Amino acid sequence: MSIWNMALGWGKRLLTLLLSVFLLVTAVFYVSRLAPGDPLVAYYGDRVERMTPDERAWAKDRLGLNDPITVQYVRWLGRALHGDFGISYQYKMDAAEVIASRAGNTLILGGAGFVLTFSLSLLLGVLCAWHEDGPLDRVLCKLGTAASCVPEFWLSLVFILVFSITLRWLPSSGAYSIGGGGLGDRLAHLALPVSVVVAGHLWYYAYMVRNRLLEEVRADYVLLAKSKGLTKGRVMFRHCLRNALPSYLSLMAISVPHILGGTYIVETVFSYPGLGTLSYESTRYQDYNLLMLLCLLSGTVVMVSGMAAQFINQRLDPRLSARDAAGVREP
Amino acid sequence: MNGAFERVGIRPLPPEPAAKPQRRRGAPVLSAVLLSAIAAGCLACGLFAAKDPSYMDLEHCAVPPGNAFWFGTDTMGRDIFSMIWHGGRLSLFIGVTAAAVSTVLGVVFGAVSGCAPGWLDAALMRLTEIWLSVPSLLLTVLLQAALGRASPLSLALVIGASDWTAIAKVVRTEVRQLRNSEYILAAKSMGGGFFYLLRRHLAPNFIPSILFMVVMNVRTAIAAESTLSFMGLGLPLETVTWGSMLSLSEKALLSGAWWIILIPGGFLTVTLLCVTSLGDYLRKSASRRERNL
Repeated sequence: MSIWNMALGWGKRLLTLLLSVFLLVTAVFYVSRLAPGDPLVAYYGDRVERMTPDERAWAKDRLGLNDPITVQYVRWLGRALHGDFGISYQYKMDAAEVIASRAGNTLILGGAGFVLTFSLSLLLGVLCAWHEDGPLDRVLCKLGTAASCVPEFWLSLVFILVFSITLRWLPSSGAYSIGGGGLGDRLAHLALPVSVVVAGHLWYYAYMVRNRLLEEVRADYVLLAKSKGLTKGRVMFRHCLRNALPSYLSLMAISVPHILGGTYIVETVFSYPGLGTLSYESTRYQDYNLLMLLCLLSGTVVMVSGMAAQFINQRLDPRLSARDAAGVREP
Repeated sequence: MNGAFERVGIRPLPPEPAAKPQRRRGAPVLSAVLLSAIAAGCLACGLFAAKDPSYMDLEHCAVPPGNAFWFGTDTMGRDIFSMIWHGGRLSLFIGVTAAAVSTVLGVVFGAVSGCAPGWLDAALMRLTEIWLSVPSLLLTVLLQAALGRASPLSLALVIGASDWTAIAKVVRTEVRQLRNSEYILAAKSMGGGFFYLLRRHLAPNFIPSILFMVVMNVRTAIAAESTLSFMGLGLPLETVTWGSMLSLSEKALLSGAWWIILIPGGFLTVTLLCVTSLGDYLRKSASRRERNL
């Protein structure tokens, strides 16, 4: 495949990515304005109830909410292209600033959850495949299926009930104690949310690793490797795992938004100050500018990780790019 | 072997062993029984759960499980035992309806995309990707807001409408493989319309491969409803479902009333588990069939 071809391919992908993000933002803009509710409540709080109609009209005019939706949309788009996403009605700060102040917390929670899910699922998957149909494999499969069925919000509640209220081991909400606190304090606050995130996702990926490995174990080249006298460990790690990894890695790339999305609910239950609680609030209180920026961000993350998955696949599995170069298209 | 055409040189084969009535391996009997018990209990709740689930007995708030209240009462003095069965009816209804909605949407969308010319197909598939890229929680909330006041039916529609993309993708792939086969062409040339083709010729081919996804969608929908109602974004507190029962749990946590949290959540989780193992069984038998082909 020539450089030119590759550049063309990626350029095309980038273009569709931009187009997709644009469509997404447009749709969210219109739908969110259709929703009934009063964005003024987010800005003025309870004072809205005592406002006269004149005051209301003035306030709406000030926030630019009186114009037709399309006018508002064009204005928002024009400003957004210049990097100005408007102010958050609720926090009365730049929406971008509000998000920047919260993003770190979500990245820590989501990042820790992602790394743990990634490594533990690989471990569990290999363990299960190693003991295929043995008692350990069966018990783990049953347990894993059960764990993946428990709704995240309920698991969080049960964890709070057990570990914070009954045993009083860990704090039940927030990201740190009032008045700061060191690393230990942060970790104590992270423990419960992270374990919920990991428990909710772990099995899905572990099961995927297990099944991919078992597919590989049945392949002919494994028979050859065995007949050459290689040990089970060598066959498993050097041959099977290596072949199973590309699809696993690309799955993990796609799953970035999946796991980040999982933190939304967990954040809300634990009142963890991150993007999840922020998007919950912004949807609930019609904080339009904040909502738009959050959608823009999450949409971009999803699509970029989709592209990353494709890239990983092509890099690690030369068969795919060979097929691309030969002009074979997906059926 | 009698008559002129006697076979020569072939050892007579031993008679085929009679097909044993083989017990299907790993059939989820326990899950099926539990699930039907829960479903039957919810449907017949009027017979044995006589207390009004919405009656607030303010003298008995947050009473632990006992003789008068088998599962205790919640912080608003409602009897949890009858709430479980009455609320379960709604939760199951939303799950099944949402799965039906998502199936219809997914099948129609996937079939249209599979039959369409290349550029339309690519555009439609790009659309599903955009759809997928909105966080599902946000999507349901936005759709719900656009539909107006939340009722069980509207919530089911919304949940169903946000969860059809996986089915659409599978259907599209299957349809693309089938659409040039002779019998489809024959049916088309005899004037079969799109929906006729879909019903008579395409659907029988892809139903086995989407059946388990439909069952899994029931699970996702029940979980989504409870999550939304728990967060106060779905059904209001007065509409009793398993999710809205749990939305009182913050107060329950403070007073250590474990039964308000553990009992509805337990029912919810057991139901989800049963539905999942049914779905898993369907998936395994579908892939077994494919391997036999």
